[in-house]
Amino acid sequence: MTDTKTNTIAVRTVGLGKRFGKQWALAHCDLEVRQGQAVLLAGANGSGKTTLLRLIAGLHKPTQGELQIFGLDPQRERLTCRESLTLVGHEHYLYSQLTALETVLTWARLGGGDLSTDQIRGLLDEVDLGDHRNQRVGGFSAGMKKRLTFLRTKLENPRLILLDEPFSALDTAGQQLIEEWVDGYKVAGKTVIVASHNLPRAALLCERAVYLKQGQMIWHGKSSDMVQQMGLAS
Amino acid sequence: MARQAWAVVRKDLLLEWRGRSRIVSVLLFGVVTLLLFSFAIGPDSVILQAAAGGFLVLALLLSSTLGLSESFRLEQEQRAIEGLLLLPVDPVALYYGKCLSNTLFLMLLAPVLTPVALFFYNVELGPTGFLQLFGLWGLAAAGLSAPGTLYAAMTSRLQSQDVLLPLLLFPLVIPVLMGAVKSVTLVLTGDPMSQIQSWTLLLASFAIIYWSLCGLLFPHAIEEGS
Repeated sequence: MTDTKTNTIAVRTVGLGKRFGKQWALAHCDLEVRQGQAVLLAGANGSGKTTLLRLIAGLHKPTQGELQIFGLDPQRERLTCRESLTLVGHEHYLYSQLTALETVLTWARLGGGDLSTDQIRGLLDEVDLGDHRNQRVGGFSAGMKKRLTFLRTKLENPRLILLDEPFSALDTAGQQLIEEWVDGYKVAGKTVIVASHNLPRAALLCERAVYLKQGQMIWHGKSSDMVQQMGLAS
Repeated sequence: MARQAWAVVRKDLLLEWRGRSRIVSVLLFGVVTLLLFSFAIGPDSVILQAAAGGFLVLALLLSSTLGLSESFRLEQEQRAIEGLLLLPVDPVALYYGKCLSNTLFLMLLAPVLTPVALFFYNVELGPTGFLQLFGLWGLAAAGLSAPGTLYAAMTSRLQSQDVLLPLLLFPLVIPVLMGAVKSVTLVLTGDPMSQIQSWTLLLASFAIIYWSLCGLLFPHAIEEGS
């Protein structure tokens, strides 16, 4: 897997911080992620993991510090940056009234591509939603919504994949599917940043880990070392 | 960009079709508004006919705030708008797509509200008048949708959107309101001095200005902290 890594820096943050009102959600974050790496963001609730992912995705504007995505400033080069990344977050970005097929078709059209119905069926089959393609997503379970949203990582073909709690709401088969896809992305030289509370599972996917506490990055190193060094063994 | 804007229109029209109760509610609101205006004026058919144009445009304006705020409420559901912004979609394309679908939505009110207004206010209109009226309705809908879409996007994350949207929108659309009221009134009551062209021009000019200006401002409104 390491042969797909390059010296290209996918994400670089220098003193990055984000404040909401008077509360700093993230402060003084220095992070460098190379292309092809998979990095785990760990930390308790409210530690700043989601904020960091949303900053990288360009959904938040930094209050302080610098952020570069493949050498570009996401605030200035929004479209170019967004072409190279995708975020699968807590929210599913779905319209309850659309069917699974229509949802994927809409994403494809907006992303500039135009997929045939057969191609979309194929994609939906990959996430075990083929039989539900004509069902409105408002009636989907949380796990089914997660699977559908996860399709965006294939549809948009990004170089940088941001996953916020990818295993939540998913059954064992769904979690294995995510793992397989992430492994495939790593082999393909894509960069993956995963924020998760499911440390044993996520640590296996990511070779590097960063631990956040109250908005501060307090530890970084090998994922395998994190559980032991941070005293996180359950 | 045009292709992406069209994709937004298709998506919005499909959502409108699936949530037909929304357009029915807005239509009923428009009809009730027209009815209330006619009750407020009383049975004097001369005054009713003279005020018919104004009431029809006001019904459109009041109905538009309901439709506009609802269009972004759907986008906030499960943060669908963020899903759109995460795609490599030009926010300007997103704006024009939303704006066009909102204009089409408001234009759908015309075939219902116009005959109702003509009936309530005892106005007779020939086929040419109907065509003129629908054309003017389209311009007014475009003039209202442009700033309406911008403000609906700006206020969509706020709990007080229903209050804020009309407060922000109404003062800004006074020129559209004036142009639409005058030109619609001239169609309904006759235009002996051929003034309709100049009022229509005013209406069209403001629609164009709003479409251009709001398209430039929308990316700053929709993206956090820009």
